[in-house]
Amino acid sequence: MSHEPGAGWVGRPVPLKEDARLVAGRGRFVDDLARPRMLHAAMLRSPHAHARIVAIDTREAAALPGVFAVLTGAEAAARSGPIRPLIPTTAAVPDYCLAVDRARYVGEPVAAVAAVDRATAEDALELIRVEYEALPAVVDPEAAIAPGATLLYPQLGTNVLWHDTLTYGPVDEALARADGVLRERFTIQRYASTPLETFGAIAEYDAGTDVFEFWTNDQRPGLTISVLAASLGVPQARVRLSCPDIGGGFGNKRRPAYLLTCALLARQSGRPVKWIEDRIENLTALMHACNGIMDVELAYRADGTVLALSVRDIADEGKNLITPAQHNLIKLGNIANGYRIPAVRYEAWSVLTNKCPSGANRGIGKPFMCFAIERAMALLARRLGLDPAELRQRNYVTAAQMPYTTPPGAQYDSGDYPATLRLALERFGYAARRNEQAAARNAGRLLGIGIATSVEPAGTNLASYEIVTGRRAASGSAEAAMVRMEPDGHVSVSLGDPPSGQGYETVLAQIVADELGLTPDAITVARGFDSTTTPWLYLSGNYSNKFSVTDVGAVVGAAARVRAKLLRIAAHRLEAAVADLELAGGAVAVRGAPDRRLGFAELARTAYADVLGLPPGEEPGLEARHAHQNSLAQPVDGDRRVRSQLVFSNAAHCCLVEVDPRTGLVKILKYLVVHDCGRELNPLIVEGMVHGATAHGIGAALLEEFRYDAQGQLLTSTFMDYLKPTSVDVPLIEVDRLEHPSPVTPLGAKGVGEGGAIPGPAAVANAVEDALAHLGVVVRSLPITPEQIWRWIR
Amino acid sequence: MTTPSERVTVRCTVNGRPGAHVVEARRSLADFLREDLGLTGTHVGCEHGVCGACTVLVDGRSARSCLLFAAQLDGRAVTTIEGLTPAEGLSPLQESFRVCHAMQCGFCTPGMIVTVTALLAEEPAPSTETIREAISGNLCMCTGYVNIVRAVEQAVAARPAEARA
Repeated sequence: MSHEPGAGWVGRPVPLKEDARLVAGRGRFVDDLARPRMLHAAMLRSPHAHARIVAIDTREAAALPGVFAVLTGAEAAARSGPIRPLIPTTAAVPDYCLAVDRARYVGEPVAAVAAVDRATAEDALELIRVEYEALPAVVDPEAAIAPGATLLYPQLGTNVLWHDTLTYGPVDEALARADGVLRERFTIQRYASTPLETFGAIAEYDAGTDVFEFWTNDQRPGLTISVLAASLGVPQARVRLSCPDIGGGFGNKRRPAYLLTCALLARQSGRPVKWIEDRIENLTALMHACNGIMDVELAYRADGTVLALSVRDIADEGKNLITPAQHNLIKLGNIANGYRIPAVRYEAWSVLTNKCPSGANRGIGKPFMCFAIERAMALLARRLGLDPAELRQRNYVTAAQMPYTTPPGAQYDSGDYPATLRLALERFGYAARRNEQAAARNAGRLLGIGIATSVEPAGTNLASYEIVTGRRAASGSAEAAMVRMEPDGHVSVSLGDPPSGQGYETVLAQIVADELGLTPDAITVARGFDSTTTPWLYLSGNYSNKFSVTDVGAVVGAAARVRAKLLRIAAHRLEAAVADLELAGGAVAVRGAPDRRLGFAELARTAYADVLGLPPGEEPGLEARHAHQNSLAQPVDGDRRVRSQLVFSNAAHCCLVEVDPRTGLVKILKYLVVHDCGRELNPLIVEGMVHGATAHGIGAALLEEFRYDAQGQLLTSTFMDYLKPTSVDVPLIEVDRLEHPSPVTPLGAKGVGEGGAIPGPAAVANAVEDALAHLGVVVRSLPITPEQIWRWIR
Repeated sequence: MTTPSERVTVRCTVNGRPGAHVVEARRSLADFLREDLGLTGTHVGCEHGVCGACTVLVDGRSARSCLLFAAQLDGRAVTTIEGLTPAEGLSPLQESFRVCHAMQCGFCTPGMIVTVTALLAEEPAPSTETIREAISGNLCMCTGYVNIVRAVEQAVAARPAEARA
C-alpha cells in the first residue's frame, strides 16, 4: 500500500486482509478447533412432524463402548431452564433444548449422545428406542388458523401467535373512492440462505469455577450469552463465548438450544463436547424463512397514482417460539417500498405449524413484502397499459421529499429513487431491450423484461416488538467497539459484531487508519468475538444489516477517544496546545514545526510504561471503548407507528430472461443492479455483497424450496433436491451505483448486505411473467420451476 | 469382509509427503485429512458430494474427499489446499482470488481453488463459459460467483503466453 497515510482510506477498494488467509485455507472455523479430551455429539431427531413421545429407552446406547453421555428431553428439562424467547408468546410455553413430551416437526432433536467420535455417537443413536404416538400434523398455515385445527400447544388454545390489524391513514375511504382496486393473492415458499459452513459449537464446563465456555459460529453472541446463562442457571459472568471465522451466516446461524445441549452433555461427561451440524440437519431443522400468503389490495387512480395499500399477511412460523412475528414486524419497514402511499393497512398473522422453526434469513420478510408490492405494481402497469417503469416513476418518494416518513412510521433518510431507476434503465438499455424482445417474439422466442425496485432497511429497533407483546423488553439498536494502542504503538480493534464474510478486518482498519493517520496495514482487527476481551452489549451481533447503522459509529467513537488522548499526551510532552498538533504518519507533530514530533511508539511508552510523563490526572493506558446507539430508534408512538428499521438504502434491478417453451427452463440473459447504499466504505466489499445477495434472490425466484408433504415430511432435505444456484445459473451481475450519503450515520454509509435478496425474486418473476404475459400467465408464487412453466405453456 | 470400525493401513502421499496411516475403514478422506493429519483447509459443506467444499486432488484430478474413504487412497497421491500454497506468499491463482475479492466467508474458497487448479491443468486458457461449467459443482453462498469467474479469468490472462497454449 503505497498510498499516503491520512489521505482517506475509507471509500477505497482496498483488497481484504482476511482474504489472504482464506485463499490459503488458513481460515479458522469452528470445526477446525479442538479441545483436549474432546467428545463429539450427535442428535436423535424426530421422524414425525407431530408425535407424542411416549417413552425413550437409552440404556443400550449408554452402554456402547466409547459413549460418555446420553441426554433425553426429560433429562434436559430437569437440568436446564426453558429457552428464553426474544419475542414472548402471550402464554408461556416452555421450550427446552430437546423435545420433552412431544415432537413438533420432522428433525426436532429428542435425544443427544456424546462419544469419542462422531461415528460412535451416531452408532449410539441407533440404539436409542423411542416410542412415538403419531399425532395429526398441521402443515398449511390457513388450516392452522381454522377452528378445530390440531394444536401444537394445546395450552395456548390456538396456533396463532399474533393476529392484529394495524391501520395507518384512511384506507377504507381510499378503497371506496379509487378508480380501481387491484386485488391479488401471492404466496412465497420456505427457503434459506444455507451458509456453506453449517452451524456448530464446542462446549466445555469447568466444574472448579462453574464456568461454561463455548466456541461457536453463532452470529448473535450478545443475545445468546443471556439465553444460555438463564437456561443454565448461572450468572452471565460465568458464560464465556467466542466466535472464530464464521463461514456465512445470513441470519441462519443461531440456535441456543444446540449450544445448551452441548453444555449439558459437557457437564454430564466432564469433557468438552463438539457438535457440528450435518447438511441434512441444517436443511431440515436449523432455520427457514417463513413461507406465507399475502392478500394485497392496491387502490389506484386512473393515472396510476397509488392511493392505499391493504395487506393481509400470514407468516407460517413452523415451530418458532423464539422470534414469532418477527417476519411480520420487519415488513412494516418496507411495506410501502419506495412509494408515496398515503394510507396503509397491515393485517398480520403469525402462525405455528409442524414445520422447521422459521427465523432470520437474509432480509427477514422483506423479500416477500417486496415481491408482493412489485408484483402488484407490474400487474397494475399491465392493467392500465402503462410502462412498468413509468408507473413506478409516478409513485416514487422523490429526493426533495427526503427525509420521508411512511404511514407505518419508517423514515427514509436519503436517496433518489427516481434517479436510481432512470440510471438502471439507461445502463440496461431498456428501450433497446424492448426492441430485442419484440424481435425475438416475432422469431418465436420468449423473452421477458423484469423491473423491480426496493428500499433496503438497515439496523433494527427492538422497541418494535412492543407492538406484538404490549411491553418493552429490549429497544433500539447499538454496538460496542474497542480501539487500543498497544504499548508498542501498534493499534488493535475489536467489535461486538462477529463478521461472517463482510470483511470487517479490512474495513474497520480503513476507518481507524483515517482517524489516527495510519495505514490499514498498521492496524490489527481481532478475528471474530470473545466475550472476555471483546466489548459487547445484549444487542451485539451480526444481524439486521446493522454494520453501517451502529458498528461504524462504535469504532469511529472509540478511535476518536484514542486520538484525543494521544493528542493530550503529546501536547503535554511537546509543551504545545492540542489545537496546534496534527496526527500523521504514525506520529503527532506541531503544525508547522515538523521536528517537534513524537512517534506513536513513544507516546504509547509514556501511556503504559513511563506514566510519570503523563499529563496530570491522565489515566495510564491508551485504549477506549465506545458504544454507539443510533438516534433514529424511537419507541412505538401512540398511533402504533414505529421505525422497526432505521436507515434506508435503495436499488433498482432490471433483468432480461428467456423462457425455453420446450423445457420450461428460464435463462437469465442479463441482470443489472443500480443501488445506493450511501457512502461506500470499501467498494470491493460492497459490490461483492450486491452480487451475492442478488444471487440469493435468483435462487429464491427459480430454484429453492423446502417442500413439505401433507404429513409434514420434508421432501427437499439435501442439496440434490433443495437446489442452490450454481455458477451456470447465476449470470454476470452488472452493478452500478449512486451515492447519497445517509445524514444519520457517522460516515454516511447505509446497509448493503441484504439488498439484492429483497427485489431479486420480484425482478425475476416480473421478467418471467413478461415473457409469458401473452399466454395470460400471472406469477403468484415462487419458485418458478420448469414444471410450473411447462404447465402454463400447455 | 472389513467391518466399518475395523482398522486398515493406508500408504499414500499427502502434499508430497509419503506415509503409512492406520484408519478406520469407514473414515472418509475428508475426516482423515482434517482430523488425523490436521489439514483443516479442506472444508466439509454437505457430506453428500454436492457442494464441492471438500475438493482435493487425487493423482492430480479433482475429487470430493467426503465421498471417498481414506482407505481408497492406498498407493495414491493427494494434494490439498495446503499443498497448493507456497511456503511463502500465495500462488498466482490464490493471488488473483485475493485481488479480485473472489470470496466472502471463504469457506468454499479452498475447494474452488483446487477445482480451478485441476481445470487449468487440463485447459490452460478456458473460456468464461468453460470456467463457469468447471466450477458449477462448487457451491458458493456468498459471491454469486461473479468475482470468482473474474479471478480465474485474470489468473489466466496473467499467465505467460506459453502457459496458455
